[in-house]
Amino acid sequence: MNVAFDRINLNDTIMSSKEEEYKEMFLSEALQNYEQLNELFTTLEKDHDDSESIDSIFRITHTLKGNAMGMGYEGIASLSHVMEDVFSEVKEGNIKLNKSLFDNMFKANDKLGALIDALTTEEKVSYKGILTKLNVILRKAREKNQPSGNSTDVNDNKEQVPEENIPVVEQETTPEAELNEVKQTTEGVEEQPEIIETSTENTDEVIEVEEEIEEEEIEEDDTQRKVAFSDIVQIPIRKLDALMNQVEQLIIERDRLIAVSGRSSSDFTSLQRITSDLQYSVMDVRLVQIGFLFNKFHRVVRDVASIESKQVNLVLKGTEVEIDRNILKIMSDSLVHLVRNSVSHGIEDAQTRIQRGKPEEGVITLNARNEKDNVIVEITDDGNGIDTEIIRKKIVEKGMLTKELAKYLSSDEVLLYIFEPGFSNAEKITEVSGRGVGMDVVKKATESIGGQISVETEVGKGSTIILKLPSSMAVKGALLFLLGKQEFAFALSYTEAVISLYKYEIKIINSGLMAKYLDKTISVIFLHDLLAMKNLDDIHNEGAFHTTYHEIDDNKKLDVIVISYGNRLIGIVVDKLLQQKEIVEKTIAKPLDNVKILTGTTILGNGNVCLVVDAVAIAEILFKSSQKSKVMEVM
Amino acid sequence: MELETQNEVQKKSEKNVGDVADEKILLIVFKLGASEYALSIDQIKEVVLTPRISEIPQTPAYIKGVANIRGTVISIIDLEARFGLKPKKKVDEDETDENNVDLDTEKSNYTLVVESEEFKIGVLVKEVPNTYSIKRSEIDSSSDIIRHSSLDENAIKGIVKIDERMIILINVLSMMETGGIQTTNE
Repeated sequence: MNVAFDRINLNDTIMSSKEEEYKEMFLSEALQNYEQLNELFTTLEKDHDDSESIDSIFRITHTLKGNAMGMGYEGIASLSHVMEDVFSEVKEGNIKLNKSLFDNMFKANDKLGALIDALTTEEKVSYKGILTKLNVILRKAREKNQPSGNSTDVNDNKEQVPEENIPVVEQETTPEAELNEVKQTTEGVEEQPEIIETSTENTDEVIEVEEEIEEEEIEEDDTQRKVAFSDIVQIPIRKLDALMNQVEQLIIERDRLIAVSGRSSSDFTSLQRITSDLQYSVMDVRLVQIGFLFNKFHRVVRDVASIESKQVNLVLKGTEVEIDRNILKIMSDSLVHLVRNSVSHGIEDAQTRIQRGKPEEGVITLNARNEKDNVIVEITDDGNGIDTEIIRKKIVEKGMLTKELAKYLSSDEVLLYIFEPGFSNAEKITEVSGRGVGMDVVKKATESIGGQISVETEVGKGSTIILKLPSSMAVKGALLFLLGKQEFAFALSYTEAVISLYKYEIKIINSGLMAKYLDKTISVIFLHDLLAMKNLDDIHNEGAFHTTYHEIDDNKKLDVIVISYGNRLIGIVVDKLLQQKEIVEKTIAKPLDNVKILTGTTILGNGNVCLVVDAVAIAEILFKSSQKSKVMEVM
Repeated sequence: MELETQNEVQKKSEKNVGDVADEKILLIVFKLGASEYALSIDQIKEVVLTPRISEIPQTPAYIKGVANIRGTVISIIDLEARFGLKPKKKVDEDETDENNVDLDTEKSNYTLVVESEEFKIGVLVKEVPNTYSIKRSEIDSSSDIIRHSSLDENAIKGIVKIDERMIILINVLSMMETGGIQTTNE
């Protein structure tokens, strides 16, 4: 069912790109398996008693078989299957290891390698010969073992091949001929591998003649041994981080050079182009398709739904959207939590759904899309929806706000409380939700990478949690400005607009400042006032936000950056706007890592350290202070 | 750079000398206020000209801010302010008046980059620091001296007497690690 839905929602190009991706993954893993097998056979050939290697071979062939079957690669599947079977007998002690067996195994593994290669080259590979041979060995071992009860070694089996051969190679018209070849092979093998090659080749030929399809390949086969190379290189993320770091330093150095040269930056266009290309290439390497994570949610949904006896279908959209691997890693727990929440709190049980005139089966949709430099991830359910009145009641019950104050909150403001620490909307603690990470942790994780979380809901219809995530952690757009003599920046993801206001357009209202922006009234703050505070508790001091306001002339024109955070708009007055720039932000190192109103620093072209101001923290500080003043009002 | 090689030489000599008391250690000596202070050379990564410092809001007065030292942003601390070796008035002015800060940092020409596994900080000094080689036995670390000093217990390691001079041996890192730098909020 899930699968069917997947397909409906994915168009052809996505499907094929997905298939390509799976194929690439399979190839990379299969090649690895092949190489491991080569190594293990070599080790085992030197030390026949190495049971660890035997186990590994068994395990690897088993995995490879499973993967190949999943992908529908019949040849690889059947060959690895028979190899697995042989080693299962070896494990049991029914087949003894000896040179001829190894020769056959190496041969089989080479064929396996060739078959894996053939997936890309689309060459034909004949593998039936070795397949048959291994089947013969296997059959012999089994039959020998069962009736007589005592294990015989493979060399003995050789003599018995004639009788036992026939059932195995049923289709073969000349079993004797093949048989002789097998004999030849195993006998002629004794010393040099070269001989094995040729003799096994002969074997193939004999069979090949019968199975006309594969005649052509025989000649090229076995002539030279190529070392297999995968087209995919696995790189530890640590190395990518280091590479990224170096590129970032290069960019800083570039900007510095341009700044000191005193020439216009247009003289450096090609340098700028090359360095940005380099930067984007490195960033691109770190991107993964969000589908990697999304696909894991089928299981998450199934598990939760079965615990809660609900019927839930998961729909994935936009799985091809790419996002920085580190961001995905940071967000993965949060996404799991959100999805579990949707099943547990969102979707109703089948009975309720029928009563509400909804289909029995609930639907949860995970949707990813690009929006400018961000990736928007939406988790939608068609369930209960969130009743803001219940939340409002909870806010009061939990003592987060007084009853009087709670009345003042708009529905949107009420919804923001589900992200507050200590607020769990779960009616009862279930196995699934109500413990572990809460929504506040999800919010923290989102904001730690400069993202935003919001929720849309309609009672009875369902809810959507919207995550706005940066697609890359390394570089972010920022708005640079001056305050005093120092450069500061706001992350562009939080800036809504840049406006100019005359001081007389800003009015004192209570402890804060207000101004008109478009048709709304927004809070305004002089950033200097906030930064000059020795202690953030000073925001509650009388007139804490009016200091600069009173110092300046009424007709002064002010640069104001409007930031938006969780439905709130705040005007931030700065001394001078500088420019919009891509910055590489670093968190502030210990021991200054707990400074609240900064998210990090970046080094500018002139070598100066620019501080990145935390728009979220400012929004929260203002929100808290305005709440306090509301309390005052009410009292 | 020079310091680093000396550091290595010293480490080598440490290995050879078995007797702890006779073991030589290298100190970096600098002036704070009117007194001389020293750091063990192991803790110092390099000495650089003080770069431009960006102030960090809501931090104690002795945190001058952060600066770019060879592509890394590190915290810069002013031990004179930390140890109360400046006239009080001056410290307060630094908070609000930026011109004053600039003048002040100009005077603090050099920055000792102190590094531990956990973090890196810059310590402002006014003059080029000197190095002294002393025996470990010359460090007087009796508890009396430490208790009677105005510094934190974990900051001061002992007193070294060289002729008439008294040098206070401090450990900036353990001071930072144990005391930490608290932002002034919360």
